[in-house]
Amino acid sequence: MNQAFQRSAPEPLPPVEFNVPGFYQTKLDNGLRIVMVQDDRLPLVSYRLAFNWGDVNDPEGLIGVTSAVASMLNEGTINYSSRQLADEIERLGASISVHASDDFTILAASTLSLYSTEILRLAAEMVRRPTFPEDELDLYRRNTVEHLKFQRSQPGFLAGEQTARLIFGEHPYARVAPSAEDIEKLSKDDLRTTHDTAYIPNNATLVVIGDVERDDIMREIQDLFGNWQTGNLVAPAFSEVPKRKSRTLTIVDRPGSAQSNIVLANTAIRRDDPDYFPVIVMNQVLGAGASSRVFMNLREEKGYTYGAYTRLDAKRRGGDFEATAEVRTAVTGDSLKEFFYELGRIRDEKVPEAELADAKNFLTGVFPIRAETQEGITNLIVNQLLYDLPEDYLQTYRKNVEAVSADDVQRVAQKYVRPDEMAMVIVGDAKEIVPQASSYAVSVEIFDTDGNPADLPDQEAAAN
Amino acid sequence: MSAAFKLQPLAIEEYTLPNGLRVVLNKDGAVPVVSVAVYYNVGSRNEREGRTGFAHLFEHMMFQGSENVPKAGHFQYIMKAGGTMNGTTSSERTNYYETLPANQLPLALWLESDRMRSLAVTQENLDNQREAVKEEKRLRYDNQPYGQIFDLINEMIYKNFANAHSTIGSMEHLDDASVEDVQEFFRIYYAPNNAVLSIAGFIDDATVKELVEKYFGDIPPQPLPPELNVEEPPEVASTYREWEDKLAPFPAFLIGWKTPKRRTPEFNALYLAGKMLYDGDSSRLYQKLVKGDESVIQLFGFTDERRGPSSIFVGAIPKPDKDLSKIRDVIMHEINDIAKNGPDPKEMQKVHNQLVNDAVRTRQSSMSRAQQIAEFALYDGDPTVINRELDELLAVTPDQIKAAVDKYLNTENRALLDVVPAGKG
Repeated sequence: MNQAFQRSAPEPLPPVEFNVPGFYQTKLDNGLRIVMVQDDRLPLVSYRLAFNWGDVNDPEGLIGVTSAVASMLNEGTINYSSRQLADEIERLGASISVHASDDFTILAASTLSLYSTEILRLAAEMVRRPTFPEDELDLYRRNTVEHLKFQRSQPGFLAGEQTARLIFGEHPYARVAPSAEDIEKLSKDDLRTTHDTAYIPNNATLVVIGDVERDDIMREIQDLFGNWQTGNLVAPAFSEVPKRKSRTLTIVDRPGSAQSNIVLANTAIRRDDPDYFPVIVMNQVLGAGASSRVFMNLREEKGYTYGAYTRLDAKRRGGDFEATAEVRTAVTGDSLKEFFYELGRIRDEKVPEAELADAKNFLTGVFPIRAETQEGITNLIVNQLLYDLPEDYLQTYRKNVEAVSADDVQRVAQKYVRPDEMAMVIVGDAKEIVPQASSYAVSVEIFDTDGNPADLPDQEAAAN
Repeated sequence: MSAAFKLQPLAIEEYTLPNGLRVVLNKDGAVPVVSVAVYYNVGSRNEREGRTGFAHLFEHMMFQGSENVPKAGHFQYIMKAGGTMNGTTSSERTNYYETLPANQLPLALWLESDRMRSLAVTQENLDNQREAVKEEKRLRYDNQPYGQIFDLINEMIYKNFANAHSTIGSMEHLDDASVEDVQEFFRIYYAPNNAVLSIAGFIDDATVKELVEKYFGDIPPQPLPPELNVEEPPEVASTYREWEDKLAPFPAFLIGWKTPKRRTPEFNALYLAGKMLYDGDSSRLYQKLVKGDESVIQLFGFTDERRGPSSIFVGAIPKPDKDLSKIRDVIMHEINDIAKNGPDPKEMQKVHNQLVNDAVRTRQSSMSRAQQIAEFALYDGDPTVINRELDELLAVTPDQIKAAVDKYLNTENRALLDVVPAGKG
């Protein structure tokens, strides 16, 4: 019955070469960088217009303005009302969205190639001629305030808010969302000034990927963006990220919570750090996926959680390393024990060669899968450009992963996984968590879900 | 315009092994990647009373090892070969899938065939996965604001137990599941003649057929599972329930309607009507409620397509102090407008462009193609429906939309769930 070939994993077929598409690059006289990739597999086009300006660039006293500008670009321009823009874009079956992250603002547009010109025109209109109408801004302010309240019901948001505060201190990365007061005081003039400062061609990159003719689209780009005025680039200054010296516990009390959301964090690397490749390999071994150590331990061995992971968040100006899981309340302490065991082991013991090879094979193997869709290729290229990664970054990615050694992994684990100075953030039922978790930290602080300091719950009452 | 747009048909090949396993292939060599999907014709609708959540718990057991693959070996083999994988359970089916570098196709077929042939079931693995599933339930449903409302409204819309109960199930029923239940479920439903194997991407026809025969050819078939009755009694009355959600920060409501089954002209007409009502910033309800009246924070809607009676939903999270019944009046007013006057030509044009765009986009990844053709093979007995589905949707006329909206949405025959925040405040 059970034949020999069934007993062990088969050998792969001969490998198939995969070449990352190269791209054409040029610049308009006003400084707008243009990057283009021909992709005619399907009749689709994707555009990204990215600005080196994100939420961290919010000026003093205007917290939230960058995201407000991004959100308001489709709410009215010189030639179109909010309604007309929505109708026009959706009439083509297309989409245009604008989103500000910590470091960048990115307009993303995608369409059938049949409408590639129409959609680029609408994108140019939104970016270059927004009017920020008072009534739409008023609606934005009110909706955003409600949305901020809504976020406070989500444990993931509460955990992220405290983690960012503890890790980044006075640096703007510490702010995951503006306050209601910040939003309420934003004026039309604030948005206009910010728009004029940030949305300049010499601070922007336009990426075009899809089934388009280069000459045609270049003519269109020249027409739509050629007369865009160059502006003054502002070099921002940011506060230092604080140095942590000990392991602390911060609990967001959510009485009756069915689970504890655990985040253990310390600062790590910027996206362009030379240690990037060893760190992603180390993270793959430790916790990035469903075959990584913390998942195998906390979920597959112990059944404490649906998923346990570690995560590397490497931004343009800094970043952190996090271990995360949502576990049932009763095993909060047991989960911490297993997390710290794994965080210690990756530092103290050299990773076995076979496990290292598995982690590297995963990273090199999934790389072409990410390039299957046009959105996937677009994201790879946009990241390379925005983080100023080397020109041959995508071509050498797999080689760089393969070069990482077990010594490299241990070295970066000791450098970037620092259990003794981690911020431990747990969102859940504080009276159940304190007795399980407080022995893991030198100090305990408690917040309510509004983000205000709260008292330690009465332990005697909890015991009854 | 969209009428002139012709989507290139996908190259599809279909055949059946002597043991009844249906095999569907889609060759497309743009990127050296291959996706394999196995769809078993079993979902939560097949569960018996007292065992809700079992089909999904079983899905977890499929990653716990088989005769030649150790516990959790499935994850590890796939990941160390540079692949991604998962499994999901719905009312209709349970699917398992992986995407790998093209040369790793043998690995995927070995792994899928080993667990189809010889799942290893132990008490320890069952207990462990029961806990993982309970955490999944807490994470996605019990510990999320509004996390349980879709399960609750399904219980109101459907009268037949097969349709009405949730896929995640109840904690008590999960506790009751035994090793014998797992073994029995495996024997009845996880047979080659109750499954579809689909493979899409960078493949060579001769090689793939040889490998499929090698790995799956000798798995014995089983008697087909009993026929399932998913019929629903006809109804005329509306149903109402108030739900106290201790995590919800705001009130909310959800309206659900029962509809004909998927891929009927009426279901398709309602799918298009749904897009007009709630899809995107230019949709009727977004423009009326989020913009015009400025009365809701969030608006959402979708169709749940099933092989039996299906459903369509519209829900909203209103702003504080807004009159929920007025918001519902606006929704019913728009529905009434489509029922009386039909969609306008601009709306038709928009929806046509959106349908074409959606169809092209979902063809980009080999995994998405493998899943679509497996689903059509399982539900319709014909994977080439993927090459006709867009035309079927584009063929829906304004009159059909008008008539379907009038018959199925513009009625009292709907379920209304009101969510009342019951938190500490």
